[in-house]
Amino acid sequence: MHEYSIASELVKALLEQLEPHPGRITHVFVQKGELRILSDPALRTAFELLARGTRLEGADLVIELVPARIACPACGYEGPADHADDEVFHYAIPVLSCPTCDSAVKVLSGRELCVDRVTVETDDDEH
Amino acid sequence: MHDVRLHGEEVLKRQLELAEENRKRFSAAGVRAISLMGAIGSGKTSIVERLIARLKPLHVRIGTIAADSAGDDDHRRFVAAGAESVNLNTQDDCHLDAHRVNHAVEHLPIDDLDVLFIENVGNLICPADFPLGAAKEVVVISVTEGDDMVRKHPKIFAQTDIVVINKIDLADAVGVDVRRIAEDYASINPHGVCLMTDARHDVGMDEVARALGIECTSIPSQAS
Repeated sequence: MHEYSIASELVKALLEQLEPHPGRITHVFVQKGELRILSDPALRTAFELLARGTRLEGADLVIELVPARIACPACGYEGPADHADDEVFHYAIPVLSCPTCDSAVKVLSGRELCVDRVTVETDDDEH
Repeated sequence: MHDVRLHGEEVLKRQLELAEENRKRFSAAGVRAISLMGAIGSGKTSIVERLIARLKPLHVRIGTIAADSAGDDDHRRFVAAGAESVNLNTQDDCHLDAHRVNHAVEHLPIDDLDVLFIENVGNLICPADFPLGAAKEVVVISVTEGDDMVRKHPKIFAQTDIVVINKIDLADAVGVDVRRIAEDYASINPHGVCLMTDARHDVGMDEVARALGIECTSIPSQAS
């Protein structure tokens, strides 16, 4: 249950970045790399609790999954990873190996968790 | 109603910066930092003890950070084995983070060390999101956790370069097929290194030391 540590950083970062933007926050969109090991429901619950009493209270946390990108030093491939999605694992696991030449690869992205945008409702919206 | 686009900064930016700071600190001090993760009872501490025992006679100077939610049992074992150790109680927190490691290092004679073992809290999921700044990361699993261990945590093993399967001497007793664990791991991480150990009886430890790169980087050639 490390989602509370992350939600706490998220709330802190949002409040800081949203200072110049008045209004009520209705939605927070974050992008989660597919390599990140983080539970969406746990993160949403943690966010909901930690947002209480702040401007973010009641905002919906929308978590968008972003595919990983890898680079192969052997053949120069750059792009998404193949996935192991056979019956054994029940969900798609990105495999860190080159889809064209099977060499070991470098991870370019896919481990991030970034705030992308928020939806703000201001008094002007009602007129 | 309108959308406000934000910096797109990593939520754990501060942690990543601190991990990078740790990495630079270790590198400047000439210390090879190794992070160990794995469930409670997988054998992380025993493996470090065995490595210390092998490195000590070669005059390799060893530091340890023993993280547990409470108590100092692992810390005392490391001290008894001859390491400079720091006990780090996370007080119910499920993982170490770069910030805590950063402070723990202040209590170690880091410039006098060659190798630093950072033993994470016994937990397999939470520590994965918190890089510490180590040069190598290893996940330890015990055969007693079952031969479906990799299938139950595929995402972690898909990103782990070195896996140590420990307590192989107990495989028969608990009815576990060690090959199945190794095959599952190879199927999702074709370039990963999978090692088998029985740390209690000092089996397979040379291979672990080699995979962690401690022999080649840290054993002074003049030591005898």
